[in-house]
Amino acid sequence: MKIKKEKVFPFIIAFIFSLFISGAFSQTVQAEKGDENDPYLITTDVTYAPFEFQNDEGEYIGIDVEILAAIAEDQGFYYELRPMNFSAGLQALESNQVDGMIAAMSITPEREESFDFSNPYFEAGPVLAVREDNEEITSYDDLDGKTLAVKVGTTGAQLANKLAEDYDISINQFEDSATMYEDVAAGHSDGTIDDYPVMAFAIQNGLSLKFPTDPEPGDVYGFAVNKGRNPELLEMFNAGLATIYENGTHEQITSQYLGEDTEVAEETGFFGLLADVFPDLMNGLWRTLVLTFVAFAISLVAGTVIGLFSATPSRVLNIISDIYVTVLRGIPLIVLAFFMYFSVPQLFNIQINAFTAGIVTLSLNTTAYIAEQVRGGIAAVPVGQLEAARSLGLPYAVSMRKVVLPQAIKIMIPSLINQFVITLKDTSILSIIGIVELTQSGRIIIARTYESGAMWIIVGAIYLTIITLLTKVSATVERRISND
Amino acid sequence: MTKLKTINLKKNFGDLEVLKDISTEIYEGEVVVIVGPSGSGKSTFLRCMNLLEEVTAGKVIIDDIDLTDPSQDINAVRENIGMVFQQFNLFPHLTSKENIMMAPKYLQDVPDDEIEARADRLLETVGMEDKADAYPRALSGGQKQRVAIARALAMEPDIMLFDEPTSALDPEMVGDVLEVMQKLAKEGMTMVVVTHEMGFAKEVADRVIFMDEGYIVEEGTPEQVFNNPQNKRTKDFLDKVLI
Ligand SMILES: Nc1ncnc2c1ncn2[C@@H]1O[C@H](COP(=O)(O)OP(=O)(O)OP(=O)(O)O)[C@@H](O)[C@H]1O
Ligand SMILES: [Mg+2]
Repeated sequence: MKIKKEKVFPFIIAFIFSLFISGAFSQTVQAEKGDENDPYLITTDVTYAPFEFQNDEGEYIGIDVEILAAIAEDQGFYYELRPMNFSAGLQALESNQVDGMIAAMSITPEREESFDFSNPYFEAGPVLAVREDNEEITSYDDLDGKTLAVKVGTTGAQLANKLAEDYDISINQFEDSATMYEDVAAGHSDGTIDDYPVMAFAIQNGLSLKFPTDPEPGDVYGFAVNKGRNPELLEMFNAGLATIYENGTHEQITSQYLGEDTEVAEETGFFGLLADVFPDLMNGLWRTLVLTFVAFAISLVAGTVIGLFSATPSRVLNIISDIYVTVLRGIPLIVLAFFMYFSVPQLFNIQINAFTAGIVTLSLNTTAYIAEQVRGGIAAVPVGQLEAARSLGLPYAVSMRKVVLPQAIKIMIPSLINQFVITLKDTSILSIIGIVELTQSGRIIIARTYESGAMWIIVGAIYLTIITLLTKVSATVERRISND
Repeated sequence: MTKLKTINLKKNFGDLEVLKDISTEIYEGEVVVIVGPSGSGKSTFLRCMNLLEEVTAGKVIIDDIDLTDPSQDINAVRENIGMVFQQFNLFPHLTSKENIMMAPKYLQDVPDDEIEARADRLLETVGMEDKADAYPRALSGGQKQRVAIARALAMEPDIMLFDEPTSALDPEMVGDVLEVMQKLAKEGMTMVVVTHEMGFAKEVADRVIFMDEGYIVEEGTPEQVFNNPQNKRTKDFLDKVLI
C-alpha cells in the first residue's frame, strides 16, 4: 500500500521565508557617502512649523528644510530627508539610523555630550503662550496651580521644569507642537512653552494663542551628527552655512517664514478643508491598509505555524510556541516598534527603514495573538476528531490539515476578524517611528491647518468607515464558510 | 490463525496502572466481545490495539508485525484496522460520503471514481445510501454510527475495533447498528467489540473476555462465561448487568 507522505516542512519553510521577506533589511555599507546613490539620511521633525512642515502638496518646507537644501546645493552633496518625531529622531541619530539631524534643535551642553553640532544657524528662545482670551496669566507668577503643555525633550520643556521648581505647576507632555497647542486652545492646559518663532508663525497663521511675557534669551539651533561620526558632513554644513549667511540666502529664508508678509491660511470651512486634505489622508489610509494587510497575512501564516507548534505532541515545539507567545504578548507594541527600529540596527549594525520595521513589529505582535487563537481553536475541536482521523491511518499532518484545522478555523473566524480590526487600529502606534499612516497624516495636516477639531473627526470617521466595511465583508465570508 | 496478539501488555497513565498484564490472541475471523465494569480498562485495551494509546510495556502484534517496534510505520498498520467510537467522531465539515472517502483519497493510489464507487457500496452495506450527501448534523445517532462504521471500513481493513458503539444511542436505534455489525461478523470480519449488549454477545461472539481492574479475569465461549462463570467477580458483574 502506497502512502502519500504529507509534510510539515512546507509550513515551516513558508514561515521562515516570510520572516526573511518581512525583514528585508536594507544594507547600506558603501564607500562614497553623500553621492547620488548613497545620499546622507537626515532626519527632521515631522511637523514643527516654521522649521519643518508639509505644504498643501505634501512637500516638506520650512526654515530648516530650506537652509539644508541651500547648503547641500552649495556644497554639492546629496541627502534624503527622514522626518520623524523629535525624540525618535534623537534616537535614530544616536543609533546611526540617520547621518544627521536638523530639527530646530537647541545646542545644549547635555546634547553636546552625545552629538557634534554645527555652527548655529538660528537663534530663538522659548516663550510662554496662553489662550487669546486668557486674562489671568500675565507673568510666570500666575502659573502657580496651573498646567503647562510641553513637547518632550525641548528647551521649552526645560524651562517649564525649571519654573515647576518655583511654582506648583503640573506638566503635560506631548510629542508634537500641533497637539500641544490644541491642548491649550481646547483648555486642557493653561499654557505652553515653545520656541518663539514657531508659535509666532502659528499665531500668524490663525492659532488663537498669545504671549503674556517676552521670549527668554535665545537658544541657538544647530545641525547635529552623532558624536565622532560624519565629520565631513559637519564641515560641509559649516562651510555652506557661511556662504548662505554671506550671500543673503539665510536672511531671505528666515524672513520668508517669520516676516510680516507671511500669508495667512484662508478660511475654507469644513468641506473646503476636507477637499484640501483628502489626497493626504488617502495616502495615509493607503499606508495603514498596506501595513495591516501585509502584517496580517504574514501573521496568519506564522501564527498558524506557532499555534500548531503548541498542539503537536513535541515538547520542544510546545515550549517554543509558549515562549514566543509569552514574550511577544508581554511587550507593548510601542516598545517593540522602538526595539525594531532602534535596538536591532545597533545590535546587528544594519539599517532598517521605518516601514519595514513597522511591518515586522506588527507581524511579530499579531502572530502571537493569532497563535493563541489557533491554539484555542484547535483545543476546541474534540480529541475524538484527531483520533478518528489517525485511526484511519492518516498521518498527523494530514489529520491536522484536513480534519482538525478546518473545524478550528471555523471556531476562530470571529476572533480573527476581531484581531484584524485590532491590528488595523494598532498601525496608528507605528507613527511613532515616523511612518506617515492615517493618524500621522492627520497630525501633519493639523500642523499645517490648525484644524484639530475637524481633522480628528474626519480621521475617526475614516477609521470607522474602513473598519465597518471590512468587518461586513469578513462577516459575509464567515457566513459563507459556516454554511457549507 | 492468529490475527492479533498482545504479550504482557501494560499501560499506565502516570501512576495509575490501567492495564496490568494482558496476554491474549485473537484469531482470524473471530468475534471477541469484551465486557467488564466501568474503569476496568476495556477502552484502553482496545485503543492499545491500534496504538491510539502508547503502550507502557509489552507487545502488540498483528499479522506478525510488532506495532510497538519504534521503526514500524504505524499509519500503514492502522489502515488495516478500522475503529468505531462510542461518540461516532464523524467529521462534521464533511458529508457522509466525504467522510468515507477521506482516508482512501489520501492513502490509496486509486482513481477517485473507484473510491466513490466503494463509498457508495459501503453506504449501501450500512443502509445509508439515501444520506450520502447529508452532513453529520442532519443525521440521527444511529445513522451517524452506521456512517462511522462505513468510514472505518473504507480502507478495507482486516480487523474492526468497536468501543461501545451503541452506548450513546437511543434504544430504538441500537438494533440497526447491531444488525450491521452482525452482518460484518457473518462475512468473516475479525472483530473486537467492547459492549454492554449481552444479547449481541451471546448471539454473535465466538468468545467473551471479562476484564476487571486491568486484568483478563475470565474468558471463554458466551455460554461458558455467561451461564457458568468460574470467577466470583465475573458472577457479581453478570448479576448486576443481567437482571
Ligand atoms: N487519558 C487518560 N489519562 C488518565 N487516565 C485515564 C485516561 N484514559 C483512561 N484513564 C483511566 O484509566 C482507567 C480505565 O479507563 P477505560 O476507559 O479503559 O475504562 P473502561 O473499562 O473503558 O470503562 P467504561 O466502561 O466506563 O468505558 C480509568 O480509571 C480511567 O480513569
Ligand atoms: Mg470505555
